[in-house]
Amino acid sequence: MKSEGRLGGVCVLAFAVAYLAVALSIPAASVGDPLGPTAFPVVLGCFMVLLGVTLATRPDQAREGGHEAPGRWGIVAALAGFLGIYGYSLPFVGYPLGTFLFLGVTARLLGERSWPVTVGFSASISLGIYLLFTQVLDVPLPLGIIEGIRG
Amino acid sequence: MEILGHLGYGFGIALQPINLLYAFIGCLVGTLIGVLPGIGPAGGMALLIPLTYGKEPASAIILLSGIYYGAMYGGSTTSILLNVPGEAASVVTALDGYQMARQGRAGPALAIAAIGSFVAGTIGIVFLMLLGPPMAQAALRFGPAETFALMVFGLSMVTSLAGRSLRKGFVAMTLGLTMATVGVDLPTGLIRFTLGIPKLMEGFDVIVVAIGLFAVSEILLCAEKVRTGEVLYRQVARVWLSAKDFLYSLGAVLRGSVLGFFIGVLPGAAHVTASFLSYALEKKFSKTPERFGQGEIRGVAAPESANNSAAVGAMIPLLTLGLPASAVTSVLYGALLMVGVKPSPFLFQKHPDVVWGLIASMYIGNAMLLVLNLPLVGLWVKILKTPPRWLFPIVLAISFIGVYSVNRSALDLILATLLGVLGYFLRKADYPLAPVILGLVLGDLLEQALRQTLMISGGSLTIFLHSPIAISLFVLAAVVMVAPKLIYRRGVTLETET
Repeated sequence: MKSEGRLGGVCVLAFAVAYLAVALSIPAASVGDPLGPTAFPVVLGCFMVLLGVTLATRPDQAREGGHEAPGRWGIVAALAGFLGIYGYSLPFVGYPLGTFLFLGVTARLLGERSWPVTVGFSASISLGIYLLFTQVLDVPLPLGIIEGIRG
Repeated sequence: MEILGHLGYGFGIALQPINLLYAFIGCLVGTLIGVLPGIGPAGGMALLIPLTYGKEPASAIILLSGIYYGAMYGGSTTSILLNVPGEAASVVTALDGYQMARQGRAGPALAIAAIGSFVAGTIGIVFLMLLGPPMAQAALRFGPAETFALMVFGLSMVTSLAGRSLRKGFVAMTLGLTMATVGVDLPTGLIRFTLGIPKLMEGFDVIVVAIGLFAVSEILLCAEKVRTGEVLYRQVARVWLSAKDFLYSLGAVLRGSVLGFFIGVLPGAAHVTASFLSYALEKKFSKTPERFGQGEIRGVAAPESANNSAAVGAMIPLLTLGLPASAVTSVLYGALLMVGVKPSPFLFQKHPDVVWGLIASMYIGNAMLLVLNLPLVGLWVKILKTPPRWLFPIVLAISFIGVYSVNRSALDLILATLLGVLGYFLRKADYPLAPVILGLVLGDLLEQALRQTLMISGGSLTIFLHSPIAISLFVLAAVVMVAPKLIYRRGVTLETET
């Protein structure tokens, strides 16, 4: 547990150093503004470096009973991956089709066994959400490929 | 008298059929969000922001605040029936509420939660009405030095209350502040920290960050535990409260209401602190403290009342000072900007329709929640029984509508995913998330206030010493850094005792 806390501190430190490096590269020129655009970020960066160092050298006591769930990294990584692909492709694939695929794939990932249920639920839910938002709530969503086929 | 006139004006707006409809939708959707474990009021409001596009500012904020107190309220239902707190403030409700349900008293527990919330909400609104306008008047005298000090106070309060570790709270807050520095620096026009990505010139959008950090990360976290078995729930015979139970709990409701409101006004994890503290006090001053944790109805009444009046109290800094002081009000702040209303001490003068419409709609929302929730308990329980393998992807698909609608940009969706992953690791490592979002919202205001102050003084920090208000706020900020250690000790023992 302690090594995890240390790792967190090191991550904080790495981020802080990178941030500070960029902050120091900002041109400081300013007229009538004693602080300019650099000072505030530099102070933040230094403060965070300090926090990172203390967390890395003296990590917090691990919480009792914390971290109870054994990490199922595969599921989390796959879910985040699918979510990223879904997001990236949403504007051109369109909301209804993209959501249909996303729901189906992730429900299978999370343990849905039956194919008819997967297809049926994904289709009806994605269409339902699409119609609810575009027709009832007036929130425009992209149709993507479907629009191309229709038109 | 003047207040009554304003209130009448507010009711004129809130009672317009369209706004009544929005209040209704807000309460309904909010309760649903509160019932579902995880998402919480801030993430839930953020993902429903697209519903407000193109609406009048007053309608938009009526809808969103309906979601807010609906969510506060929905959290109690699952705490009582399933021992699954829908959101953090309901954790204490579960202590006695679930015990009551096990003893076959789920009905009275749900009823006192509903009635307590209603009474508390109403008391909170009366305080808000009376205190709001004079506070806004006083805030008009704040210069940049005082504003800076106030924000420092707000940030330190939230940071110190948000988690177990002060250092991790500071990391979270600083992370939010660094995110706020990304984009164009307004006074000089310089571009900072965009790493060459044109999209980042406008900086991070509060809504995108809130959905990514709160909603997406929560689902990622839940997805790990999907196969941990079914939850059992208790049958509810009839949601009703006997006169005896009502009179017995009335004192707890009133004490919780008043305490909750004033805790809510202070920046911090308002409603969570309010419910924990009111439970602790109720237990401490009870003649039968041993009954707490065994199904004591006052143990449900006090925290449920406190968290609702705290939700109202938390509106005070936003409406009177124009400063959000919690994750939820940060999202409201972002939403107000989107509909073209800039929160500031002038809000009462410039946008009376928004402020008084909101206040009046709170009364209406409270009444709606009371009527709506008692008969709908069965429905909420059914929704909770939706298999998580379907529920989680659906929540993600809906939250992406929220993100996409901000700028209609796929980059925002990818950003939300990345922030979700970041939030997942932060949660795993016990870093609080509320300071991140507050830091992001306040970062820019904080930096500008500091720069303006130092421009006035020609670079000398002694200008802060000439302002008694600023000095007091700095002292308070220092005090809240130390005090929570004591309160927390209390909070921790409270958890382990029960």
